[in-house]
Amino acid sequence: MPRIFTELELEAYLDEALAPAQMTEIEEAVRNDPRLVQQLSTLNARRDAGVHSLGEIWRRHRLSCATREQLGSLLLGVLTPEFAEYFRFHIDVVGCRYCYANLADLQRQQREAASSTTTRRTRYFQSSAGMLREKR
Amino acid sequence: MIECRRAAVSRNANPDMTASNDRTASNEADRQLVERIRHREENAWRELISRFEGRLLAFVESRLRDRTTSEDIVQDTFVGFLNSLPNYDWRRPLESYLFSICAYKLTDHLRREGRRPSIPFSAGSNSSGEWGLPDSAARAASSIARSGEQQRLEEKALVDAIREQIQRWRERGEWIKLQCQELLFVRGWANKDVATQLAISEQQVANFKFDFIARMSSAVRKQGLNSDIFPELYPTE
Repeated sequence: MPRIFTELELEAYLDEALAPAQMTEIEEAVRNDPRLVQQLSTLNARRDAGVHSLGEIWRRHRLSCATREQLGSLLLGVLTPEFAEYFRFHIDVVGCRYCYANLADLQRQQREAASSTTTRRTRYFQSSAGMLREKR
Repeated sequence: MIECRRAAVSRNANPDMTASNDRTASNEADRQLVERIRHREENAWRELISRFEGRLLAFVESRLRDRTTSEDIVQDTFVGFLNSLPNYDWRRPLESYLFSICAYKLTDHLRREGRRPSIPFSAGSNSSGEWGLPDSAARAASSIARSGEQQRLEEKALVDAIREQIQRWRERGEWIKLQCQELLFVRGWANKDVATQLAISEQQVANFKFDFIARMSSAVRKQGLNSDIFPELYPTE
């Protein structure tokens, strides 16, 4: 039996704001169910008329998102435990795509920085290790 | 690592207060950066790309799992940003603006690929061509039509109310209430799924929800705003 999506889930889908797995799930359902297309179309029209939705406003203004600085602290393990636990929930369970993207970007930078540190140290070693051997 | 260290805040600082200061400083820095780009400074443009391309790429790649196509979409995003620069609204944070352009480009790509069906605006069912709202608070579009400025004021009232409530939950350590509302309203989960996820009873979920809606309704009423435009807050009216 196909899963029934809530109106709020469909709104988040229209905003491209669900986690990738959920986006794909709804996308597949929409391709196979004309009633869902109609439902999404009605939601679109309601928004166009200026009816406010709490979830839409919450998402658009990213009211519970972490700042870039807080995500940096999370990665370095210096955020207070309660905030760290909450932001993990926000990213992993709520599936916030924006916070996920920022965190992934910071992690990449961290990896690249670590990699360039290794390269630099290797270069220092290679350029000086010969001298060590000569002094024996 | 450098940005990560720069980005980190002290464990002893109040994360909410620090976040608020960070946002203000970041908005001002963004404003200056965009102003330099408007004056066609190439260095400023390079700086904007360096700052944002990584997060935009991660955003798209998490959905497509295709590096080359993702890079193309990020490239289109930057072009789209330059094209839209004359209309850029200072009140909107730069990062959010770039993410919204990126989401639009991504959606456009998925439509062209046939993955994401096009969703037309509802044609409605009555002969006058006006469509109706599908719930108990249904109103014809013409009855609630109002200016963009008015809509922004309404939205701001709700933003302020939600932000204040989130701040209060965080200060009191009521994380479960925040998590509950986020799953209900941002993710759109049903009460029973939220209860299972948070290991609380459905009755507790219902109580938290009721309390939250009551607070938001009260905030909207205090501003003297029309309840028709917030159907979720007045489900029984």
